[in-house]
Amino acid sequence: MFGRRGNLIWSLAVVGTALLLTLFPIYWVLTISLKSEADAFASPPVWWFAPVWENYAKLWTKDVFRSSFFNSLCITLFSVILSLAISIPAAYALSRLRPRGARAIARWLLLAYMLPEFLFIIPMYGIYQHLGLYDTYMGMALIYQAHVVPFSIWMLRSFFADIPRALDEAAKLEGCGHWRILWSIYIPSSLAGIVATAVLNAIWVWNELAIALGLTIARAQTVTVGVTSFRGYASIDWGAMAAASIAALAPMLLLAFFAQRHIVKGLTLGAVKG
Amino acid sequence: MLPCLAVLAFASLYPSGAALFLSLHDYNWGSRFEFIGLGNYVELASDREFWITVSNTLVFASIACVLELALGLYLAVQVDRLPFSTNAIRALLMAPLMVSGIIVALMSKVMFDPFLGVINYFLSLFGHGPSAFYGASNTAMATIIAVDVWWQTAFVFIIMLAGLHNLPRGPIEAAQLEGATDMRIFWKIKLPLLMPLLLTVAVFRSIDTLKVFDIVFGTTGGGPSLATEVVQTLAYRTSYGFLQIGKAMAIMVLFSLAIVVLCVAYERLQPDAER
Repeated sequence: MFGRRGNLIWSLAVVGTALLLTLFPIYWVLTISLKSEADAFASPPVWWFAPVWENYAKLWTKDVFRSSFFNSLCITLFSVILSLAISIPAAYALSRLRPRGARAIARWLLLAYMLPEFLFIIPMYGIYQHLGLYDTYMGMALIYQAHVVPFSIWMLRSFFADIPRALDEAAKLEGCGHWRILWSIYIPSSLAGIVATAVLNAIWVWNELAIALGLTIARAQTVTVGVTSFRGYASIDWGAMAAASIAALAPMLLLAFFAQRHIVKGLTLGAVKG
Repeated sequence: MLPCLAVLAFASLYPSGAALFLSLHDYNWGSRFEFIGLGNYVELASDREFWITVSNTLVFASIACVLELALGLYLAVQVDRLPFSTNAIRALLMAPLMVSGIIVALMSKVMFDPFLGVINYFLSLFGHGPSAFYGASNTAMATIIAVDVWWQTAFVFIIMLAGLHNLPRGPIEAAQLEGATDMRIFWKIKLPLLMPLLLTVAVFRSIDTLKVFDIVFGTTGGGPSLATEVVQTLAYRTSYGFLQIGKAMAIMVLFSLAIVVLCVAYERLQPDAER
């Protein structure tokens, strides 16, 4: 309609608008977290201001926030390690040994991944109280596997599928067992995929709210539950709310920034190969 | 393999079974525990609050899902057309996906504040009066949908962009030589080839939007009155607020059945995906 040139300008305009709309909220909340109270509530909004750090200082002295931040770090770490330990052998078994019932297991995995959180939370609340897993790191890491393991297996299977079968046939002839093949062929040659899986799992666990809300109260309270204490409708401590938001999203944004290429590959591989 | 099955059985089979079992009882976390058969389901069928919630959830999921698919696909097409490397653009557009739902909710509360929020300031520049956003029943749902669109459109965008990159060049170049316009190439060649991928993304987004919890919980908590109550916030309130465990589980069993139906429909639509 407008020729090649016009098309290009239009595309640039669309992409520019999208970038602006995507990044403005993050930028705006970041500035509020650095504003003094007077600047944060100024109307019309102030665009240039002298940054202050008191909101972050306040946050750091708040025990609830500091401990929930630390809890989230531990739970995320445990969950990711546990999920890899379970799903690497499982993905290998599913893609190479082709056990009977592999289809049924694949369906079950998809369902476990898709089912709503509260279906799990309430029954688990009861049994966790009995087993002493309620409000513990271990309990949280365990329940998160219901979501994280299916996703990991799904991703790892597509990475394992790229490894030529001839390699493990050769290893088998040399007398290698399954564990040996897994350890010295599959893991080294799909390391990028394993990293992508770990990063995506970490992001999911860190950001999860509903399960943490239902199964923790104090000792293992995660950062997403911690920040809900800032949410009251009448709450107008914007500085603290904004600082808490930025502090809680920063670790995953940084992780995502450094592992960007892996993440895109991970997110798209399963779907594109589908 | 075995540890995988064991953990999954504990973390997914046990809760599903227990949910079914509990949904047949009148249970309040404590001493009251009575078998009432389908009583909870019968109660739900005539519960006005439950049906309002179901319709809210469907409205939210369908509008948010359609907007995210349309915007994500459109954006992917535009980015795909740029003649330079778009990795940096992709990385920046992906940022919202890394943010937790509850943080998105808190951020949106600051931006959409009815008195001092920056969005109302922008509206006033265009001569609009301030809107209450989350505070009024007629705007609360639209605001939540807008926030979800900001949060999740990038998911559709990233996958569709990868899909566009993977398209075979041959037919597209042939059509270009024949003098077909970009519009025609998109509708006649690219879109049909992308359809299976778009369908997969649609299933993921629709199930995810049906399960919405964080954003509603973090902003309106289901209000004003019942304007934004959705299935998962209702289940939370019923179980942790009113201690009606049986009823909450009946809600979740029905909801899970709906999701199972969606998953099966998806599998039927993609017979070749199953290896």
